[in-house]
Parts: sequence; structure tokens; C-alpha cells
Amino acid sequence: MTNKKTILIAEDEAAMLSALSKKFTSKGFDVLEAKDGEEALAKALDKKPDLVMLDIIMPKIEGIEVMKKIRGVRQWGGEVPIIMLTNLSDADSVSEAAKFRVYDFLVKTDWKLDDIVNLVKVKLNL
Amino acid sequence: MKIKINLSDKILLILAGFATIFVLIAIFVIENSLQQVLVLGAVVYLFSFITAYLISWRFSKKIIKLVYRIEEMASGNLSKKFTITEKDEIGQLKNALNELVSRLQTGVAQDVSKHKELSRAKTDFVALASHQLRTPLSIIKWYVDFLISGDAGDISAEQKKYLKEVYVSNERLIELVNALLDVSRIDVGTFSIEPEPTDIIKKVDISIQKFLQKIDEKQIKLERLYDELPMINLDPRLTKTVFENLISNAVKYAPKKGIIRIEIKKTKTNIYIKISDNGCGIPRENQPQIFTKLFRADNVKKIESVGTGLGLYIVKAIIEKSGGKIWFQSPSLEFLEQKGKKPLKKIDNGATFFITIPLKGMKRKAGTKKLSS
Repeated sequence: MTNKKTILIAEDEAAMLSALSKKFTSKGFDVLEAKDGEEALAKALDKKPDLVMLDIIMPKIEGIEVMKKIRGVRQWGGEVPIIMLTNLSDADSVSEAAKFRVYDFLVKTDWKLDDIVNLVKVKLNL
Repeated sequence: MKIKINLSDKILLILAGFATIFVLIAIFVIENSLQQVLVLGAVVYLFSFITAYLISWRFSKKIIKLVYRIEEMASGNLSKKFTITEKDEIGQLKNALNELVSRLQTGVAQDVSKHKELSRAKTDFVALASHQLRTPLSIIKWYVDFLISGDAGDISAEQKKYLKEVYVSNERLIELVNALLDVSRIDVGTFSIEPEPTDIIKKVDISIQKFLQKIDEKQIKLERLYDELPMINLDPRLTKTVFENLISNAVKYAPKKGIIRIEIKKTKTNIYIKISDNGCGIPRENQPQIFTKLFRADNVKKIESVGTGLGLYIVKAIIEKSGGKIWFQSPSLEFLEQKGKKPLKKIDNGATFFITIPLKGMKRKAGTKKLSS
């Protein structure tokens, strides 16, 4: 792939992170892994990936906070698509996330890995 | 409590009697006339009788009033207390009753708050357990999917078959956890209804998609009779839950080569939906409980050993909370004419579920949680 896309996946559950990471790598993406909010924010600001996938409940900094900080970064931060991953989708965090132009809200149990990849591909026009 | 002894009616009467005798003896001694004594005796006796009657009438009137109030209390009205104006036994009785009422009031309040606390703890537990269960369920789902899709290397056809069984069972668990979460949100009343303009026919067709494989496998004839409909304000998630539950039941219980008929019509004020199957139907003795939480009819337990008994409970809650109505008919009259003169076989009783949703859409309901998410 000539223009390999980079995505950042932040997820504190190691097995989930690894599953997502393997799947996206096998589909030709460059994957940045983060196991908590702090690492996610650092990697996001450093590498400015093409898409960010954030778990909501994470140690150190919660997903919503990470998203707010990313949106605060000029140009890249305002445009990068953000997908929230969650097991716990309550109206509060959904409406909170909506304020920051979250691209999609995925309840993990509802999604197959391949469908998540397809969603990302659609968003990145691949 | 100190009991103050008042002169009771009996003592009064006895005293009156003694006074009468004393007066009579004195008159007899002074006047020495039996006739006068008899007349006076009659007068005094009559006077005593009237006095006694008046006293007892006054008391029984008050007591009857008290009895009425006590009956009111017994039926649950603990809001009123007695106003005490008397200083006698009636006053004491009222005082004692007032104390009893206050104690009952605190008791009832404690019971209610204890009950609320318990049901809150129960639903909190369900919500917590469901969230915690979802993480491992997602992990199983994703890794099994990995193996099935061959992303982790080639597997044999047999291995694939077994893994598919694992996947299907896991999906069932996910559905159960989702249903439990929904029920806990319904029971606590925290679920929200967020209507938006929705193409109801499209929604039904998307729900049907999920079951097409099963419908093909069972060679079920699917009939769709749709009116042309405007966009209706519906909560998309809740609508999906309702249709998926009802269609899933129809697919589950329709016999091989059976019929499922889905009818969507518009009346003056409502969207009118009918979902029928010619399956096993609902036994008459089970019909009153069909929308009860965790209830499963006797005959379906034999057909499908698995099932949560939560689906129809959730569907009913959604429909009724959003301003609609739901009911059913079993045996269903839908397929009678198709069977012509052949009598209905016992196995093909069938069931029809009816739903109405107001044309003006679902009622909005604020809440902190969404269902089915």
C-alpha cells in the first residue's frame, strides 16, 4: 500500500486492543496502540494519525477527555475522525461525545471486527 | 400510659339507684304515704332511665364515628389524625389511636423505602453485571471470529464448525445480557425514548433481514402487506427491538413450511401493525401471563428449550411507555380462510400480535439510559 493509513487504537483491555490491532494490521493499516488515555493522547499528538479509536472508560484519562484535548489541537485535531468504543453507552456520554463531532459510537458486543474495519475504510474513503 | 378512671355509666346508674332508694325511704319515713312513694319512685326511675339512655347514646355516636375512621385507616388511609376535644375515655382512645397511626405511618414509610432500596440494589447489580459481562463477551466474539475467518491461520472444516457453534452461543449470551440490561432500565424507569422521523417499513424490512436465513431454512412463506406510509416519529433503537422480538418469535414458532404475515396499515389516528404466524400458538391457560417478565409458555418450552422470557415484557414496556398499545390473539384468525374447509390442526393454532402506534409518533421520554445499547 502506497499511502498506508495510520490509526490509533486506545483500549485498556489488552485482549481487545490486541484483537483490534491484529485485524487492522492484517488489513493493511499502520496501528498505534495505547493502553490508557495518557498514552493515547501522547501518541495522538506526536503521530497525528488518520483516525482515532477511543475506549470511553480508560485509566489515567477517560476517552471523552482525550477526545476533547484532541479536538483542541489546531487543524489536525479538528478534522481527524474519532470513533468511540464502549460497552457502556449511556445517553450522557453519547450527547457529550456528539458535541465533539464523534464519527461513530460503537457498542463493542454489537460489532464484528471486519465490520469495524469496513466502517473505518468508508470513513477514510478506502 | 396512665389511665384516668372516670365515673362510668354503670356506676352512675347504681348511684342513681341508691339515691332513688334513699329518697324513697326518707319520704316514706316523713310522709308515711305509699302512694306518693310509688309516684315519686316512677318519676325518679324514668329520670334515671332517660339519663342513662342519653349518656349511652352520646357515647355510641362517638364510637360509631371512631369505627368509621378506623375502617378508613384499615383500608390504608393513614393521612388523617383525630382531633381530641374530650377529656374522657373517648379522648384517651383517640389519643391511643393517634399514636398507633404515627407508628403505622413510620412503619409503612420504612417498608416503602426499604422496598425501593432493594429494587434499586437489584437493578444496579444487573446493570453492573451486564456491563462487566460485555467485555469478556466481546473478546470471545472477536477472537472466535478471528479463528473462523482464517486470519489466525487455516483451520479444518470440523474446527470451523465447532467454532461457529461457540460463536452462535456467545451471540445468544450477548442477547441475554442486552435483554437483562433493558429490563433493568425499564424497571428503574431510566430508559429514554427519543423519536425521530423514521421510515417504519424500512425498519421492519431491516429487522426481517436478520432472520432471512432461518426463514429460508424452515421454508417459511413470508407475506408482507404494507400500506404506503408517511415518516413517523419513532425511536429507531426501540422500534428495532420491538420488531426483532416479534419477528424472532414468529420465526421461532412457525412450523416448517409455515406462514408469517406482516401487515402494516394506516388508520385515521394510528399505525396499525399485525404480525402473525401459524405456529403453536399460546395456550389459553398461559395467555394472561404472556407479557410477564421471565414467563415462557408451556408449549414453547418444548419447542425451544432456550429463551429468556424477557422479549415480550420489553416489547410491551416500550410500546406502552411510548403511547401505543399491544395485544394478541391466539388461535389466530388470520389463516382460517386459507385453510378452507380443513379444520385447524391443533398444532397450527397460530398467534397474531397487534400493535398500534399513534400517527403523531412515539411520546418523547427523558431518561439517562438508552435501551438496547
